[in-house]
Amino acid sequence: MNLKQILISLLFAMIALTSMSEASSHDTAPITEEVSTEKQTYESKTIGELAGSWWQTTGLNALFDVNDGEMTSEPKGAAYEREMTWFESSLGRIIMILIVFILFYLAIAKNFEPLLLIPIAFGGLLANIPLAGMGGEGGMLGIIYNMGIANEFFPLLIFMGVGAMTDFGPLLANPKTAILGGAAQFGIFGALVGAVIIGFDIQDASAISIIGGADGPTSIFIANRLAPDMLGAIAVAAYSYMALVPVIQPPIMRALTTKEERVIVMKTTRKVHRLEKLIFPIVVLMLALLLLPESAPLIGAFAFGNFAKESGVVDRLSDTMQNSLINIVTIFLGLGVGSKLAADKFLVLETMGIMVIGLIAFSVGTAAGVLMAKVMNKYSDEPINPLIGAAGVSAVPMSARVVSKVGSEEKPGNVLLMHAMGPNVAGVIGSAVAAGVLLSIFK
Amino acid sequence: MADEVNYVVEAFKFMLLGMGVVFLFLIILVKVVEIQAKLIAKYFPEDTSKIPAAKAGKIADEEQQKVAAIIAAVTEFRNNKS
Repeated sequence: MNLKQILISLLFAMIALTSMSEASSHDTAPITEEVSTEKQTYESKTIGELAGSWWQTTGLNALFDVNDGEMTSEPKGAAYEREMTWFESSLGRIIMILIVFILFYLAIAKNFEPLLLIPIAFGGLLANIPLAGMGGEGGMLGIIYNMGIANEFFPLLIFMGVGAMTDFGPLLANPKTAILGGAAQFGIFGALVGAVIIGFDIQDASAISIIGGADGPTSIFIANRLAPDMLGAIAVAAYSYMALVPVIQPPIMRALTTKEERVIVMKTTRKVHRLEKLIFPIVVLMLALLLLPESAPLIGAFAFGNFAKESGVVDRLSDTMQNSLINIVTIFLGLGVGSKLAADKFLVLETMGIMVIGLIAFSVGTAAGVLMAKVMNKYSDEPINPLIGAAGVSAVPMSARVVSKVGSEEKPGNVLLMHAMGPNVAGVIGSAVAAGVLLSIFK
Repeated sequence: MADEVNYVVEAFKFMLLGMGVVFLFLIILVKVVEIQAKLIAKYFPEDTSKIPAAKAGKIADEEQQKVAAIIAAVTEFRNNKS
């Protein structure tokens, strides 16, 4: 109800603004006359008409004219376009541009995942330019979107790069910690229940719940299959929470553990045989093949990247995957996802729901990981610091770093990074498996 | 209303299945990795010693290069002197 009141008051504000802009348009018209007469003296139009037609093409007019019948831009083509509402074509865009500036601020001043936020936010800025149709079938963002997001190609390339960057050494040295990567997936399914209770369709709810894994590429992959309309909001939510890992996780970690638990020092990890690392991606892929072929695209790309790295004979390829390729794809993926920040797609009520459920999912995942680690610590003969459970969400390597940071704050010199990397990489596998399960349900 | 309740139950079923499969996958993975580690330790134990050996070889190489460089410098120095 409150939202409605706000909307109505905004509506009145807009009406006031439009009438003001109408008035100011008459003031500015004479200034522009000279420019347009010089260029187009041979047109048989009066000066007034010229100024009017120029005014029609300005962004100002598009932003402030409430009934200009502008169409939304859809990468699928003109057939899917619809007329924008007054809110989408005017105030909505202004709000979105302000949101984009906040994202810029977070990325630049606060250093929250700038590699993701800068391309996404800039894509959002471009998508909200009136009349340009950047997100349409022929627009730059639309082309990028069709090239790799609508067909799920970019997320797979990202997974390949992440695979090539991941060192499974810590996981292989202490395999038991992989279970923590499973516990954190509880966030995904908890959010699924929550989203259904709130009133989302069960298929949409499944797509949203993947945010709980804090895994951008997987979220995009699933959203594309299950709820393409919500892709923008889901991707933005997933990437925002990946960026906000250092803010969201520590309070949850501290709340669920005691001081004694947080200062536990873990045994140094054993040395891992090179052959173990080499075979590991194949083992994971074989398991995926046997248990869950639905997850094959994600796990396959991941395993390929990792295998190329561990084989040790194709350094050029693995270098490309973990540097140039992933950088290029990140640029495109960011801009493509950003195109979904267009006001007509992002400023819908569902977005709020998605952001809230995503946050709950992510928090529940963190909490489940920590609680599981507490249980493991009780029943295991080797001490396990429960903090590493928080790394079970698949935001690699952010959450492992956060765990390490919290750990060393509690006890200087206690470096948990390597121990946290185990659950962290297991979390990637875990959320890919969870994604496969959800896909298999809706197949 | 009845439909809604139904969906929530459905969601719980998804949760059961999903968490089950995730844990099954990871537990099998852990077991396989543990067995794999044991097998590799048993049948390829010499490989761990190979890595330091390779490093030692590299060091020896570097030493030789250093020696060569020193000899070259010394001869150069002597030649200039005479």
